[in-house]
Amino acid sequence: MALPLTPIWFIALPLLLAFLAPLWARLRLLLPLLFGAQVVLLALAAALVPAVRQAPLLETIVIAPPLGIHLHLDAVALLLVTLFHGAAALLALFVWLDEGVAHLRGPRPFVLLLLLVAGCDGMVLTGDLFNLYVFLEIAGVTAYALSALHRDRAGLEAGLKYVVIGSVAAVFFLFAVVLIYLQTGQLNIAAVAADFAAIPAPMQVLIGLSLLVGLGIKAELFPFNFWVPDIYQGSDPAVASLFSGVLVKAFLFVLFHLAFLLLADPRVAQVWLMGLGAATLLVAETVALRQPDLRRMLAYSSLGQIGLIALALGFTSEATTAGALFHMVNHTLAKLLLFLVAGLLIRRAASARLEALTGLGRQMPLAAGLFVLASLSVLGLPPLAGFASKLWILTGFAEAQVFWPIALILFGALLEAGYYFRWVKALYATGDAPVARGPAPAPARSAYLPLLLIAALLLLLGAAPFLLEADLVGAAQALLDRAATIEGVLGAQP
Amino acid sequence: MLDLLDSPGMVHTIYVLGSMALFSIGLYGLLARRHLIKIFIAIAIMELSVYLLFIALATSPGETAPILADGLTRFAGMADPVPQALTLTAIVIGMAVLAFGVTLAIHYHRLTGIRDIDAMTELKD
Amino acid sequence: MNGAPLRKRIRVRPLLLSLLCGWLFALQAAILLGQGRDDLSGTVGDALLAQAPEMASANAVTTVVVSYRGFDTLGEVTVLFLAATGIALFFGAHPGGRAAQPRARRRPPNEMMVTGIRLLFPVLVLFGVYIVVHGHLSPGGGFQGGVVIATAFFLRMLADPDFLLDHGWVRLLESLSGSGFVLFGLAGLTLVATGTFLGNFLPHPVAAMGQLLSAGVIPLIYILVGIKVGAEVGAIFQDMVEQAPEPDPKQET
Repeated sequence: MALPLTPIWFIALPLLLAFLAPLWARLRLLLPLLFGAQVVLLALAAALVPAVRQAPLLETIVIAPPLGIHLHLDAVALLLVTLFHGAAALLALFVWLDEGVAHLRGPRPFVLLLLLVAGCDGMVLTGDLFNLYVFLEIAGVTAYALSALHRDRAGLEAGLKYVVIGSVAAVFFLFAVVLIYLQTGQLNIAAVAADFAAIPAPMQVLIGLSLLVGLGIKAELFPFNFWVPDIYQGSDPAVASLFSGVLVKAFLFVLFHLAFLLLADPRVAQVWLMGLGAATLLVAETVALRQPDLRRMLAYSSLGQIGLIALALGFTSEATTAGALFHMVNHTLAKLLLFLVAGLLIRRAASARLEALTGLGRQMPLAAGLFVLASLSVLGLPPLAGFASKLWILTGFAEAQVFWPIALILFGALLEAGYYFRWVKALYATGDAPVARGPAPAPARSAYLPLLLIAALLLLLGAAPFLLEADLVGAAQALLDRAATIEGVLGAQP
Repeated sequence: MLDLLDSPGMVHTIYVLGSMALFSIGLYGLLARRHLIKIFIAIAIMELSVYLLFIALATSPGETAPILADGLTRFAGMADPVPQALTLTAIVIGMAVLAFGVTLAIHYHRLTGIRDIDAMTELKD
Repeated sequence: MNGAPLRKRIRVRPLLLSLLCGWLFALQAAILLGQGRDDLSGTVGDALLAQAPEMASANAVTTVVVSYRGFDTLGEVTVLFLAATGIALFFGAHPGGRAAQPRARRRPPNEMMVTGIRLLFPVLVLFGVYIVVHGHLSPGGGFQGGVVIATAFFLRMLADPDFLLDHGWVRLLESLSGSGFVLFGLAGLTLVATGTFLGNFLPHPVAAMGQLLSAGVIPLIYILVGIKVGAEVGAIFQDMVEQAPEPDPKQET
């Protein structure tokens, strides 16, 4: 009885560990297991790389597609799953080593953190529309609970706003799934994609708009993202780093995956998605300029980067798509680092206001240095990873002779430089303003280990982007090649 | 004359009008009401309208429940089991999320005395 | 009537909102009525219905819920588990396992009600167990039966202030049934050579269809789902019934 290496472990292992949480709590194994599970799944993802390079893996559950549910592990899904578990492993290590985040160390946060990542995995892996809804709700409920984890006024308000808006998004998504089933009689995404063109046009528009509202809210695109900064501000910074680094990436992938698969001609959605991306980028970066709260500033910066990724993904050329996937990786790493460092700074100053953080860089030189490094990566300065991915996206647009996104992205980078410089300047200012000191002691030295790891990754990917190039191009091709995906699931179609 | 009501087209029309009316009522409640519990009720109404639409339109008049009992021996002439299974799943998920949302609202009210979504101004620009 | 000018009696916002919702209603209904299909055929459901006898469960909905789409059901149980976890985060006993104190009551319970519910309780539990165990034969199953059982306990909690569930036991049941579900899935993957996750790895002869012992793993999984749902919903009820201690914003667990 051998345990085969299949994608099912990405779901089954976290579920098993989460259900048995009281046992681990009794054995005092929670934090090692939280970290260990992510490392094991990261290793599993690495072990599956050679097989996925040959052909996408299809893991049937009970009955073969299109009748049943299956997990579809292709190059782009593998890239994202690896990214999620890498980010989650780094976060778990931080939670383990840093004594300060006490409310993240109990059995309930253990369950929530584990299943948040499992829900994101499921959304990326599943090949079935209704199963996608189930995983969307798993990720959703964990996110609602995590944002209210502090149980103070701000945390509860964030959680409540998130539940309301997230439930509305889920209703619209479910409505779209129901309409699709009532039209085509199919639930498998590939089978729906094959039949989607046969649906009458007005119905296609209704389905498309419901999907766009549902997933647009979840993926934090422009007209639907008014609530995001509230959530990021009210949650713990470590939790916000997961929202920005993992959860949004999964929803963005789902939105674009469905758009590319369902529409035979992606240009229909191109205008909408690029427009939403551009609006998200512009609005978020402008509003970020005058934020007095560090967490809100980071939230708006995150939204700006999401807009940039959506803009590049929506263009559907291979170069911009590969660049956008690379930017997803870099943004996840940079925002993880920024939010975790912000957590340390905020704890020390007992406030997230600009005035309270003034001069803190002198007392916490390492934290402030990491903050500067991550900011530079977000801006896209040469030795860092953000530069490599932004350059890739810009080259992609230039090759296609489309220049307005280039101007927009460069303008966005200028705005980013403006507000990140404002915060860095404040951190290193001479302390003429009185600095409020909280009772919290300096974080343990070992807590910096995962942060330094992230910084090293940012430098490595910036210096040697060719390490990932082949995989990113493969992932972009897998995301864009609609015919191959449908054929891979349903067999050759006439 | 009442045979008209048994035709699939007529039955489905009634269900479409009913469930979409419920959806609009839920949407109106969501946008117009400010009380937290009423907002959750509005969301629940929207969810229910989607379930109703799904179950009703996937079944035609004359089909029996897909269960072999009461002398039936073959799975033929029966309603589509998948919408029923999916609706069962969706109802449980909806109930779980609703219970959690209401819990948050009750706890928030105990902590702050606020039950109005417009009064939630701790997190603002 | 009250002399106020008309523009003050008719508020603009609800009017606009109802116009918007009415317009959306007309739009959706028009699209659904114009483009909807009355003759939905060749669906996944029909194909699954034709295949349903292979699982030897007389209830095709159960076959779909537990077997063909068992992965959804696992996810759904997980959402319920997560919601119960989240609710326990706010209302429940603290993770240290501190025994719950009897609830403060304003009035002693009515003797008639307590006795009546004590009499009703075993009947309700038996009825729930019946619904769970016959999930693959008749309408019902783990979810419905689990909720009936939880309701039985809820009635007793409401009527009888001394009646309390032991949080430790509830958590144990939750853990065992949830992990049992996943382990059944993994057993389906590994015990049979051509198996898949959640595959039906026990013998399920079609000849036995309609008997209590039939359909392989389907009734077993549904029993686990029943226990899980009963425990989760019961825990949610109990968390809500118990007087929560005054919340302390600084308290972190």
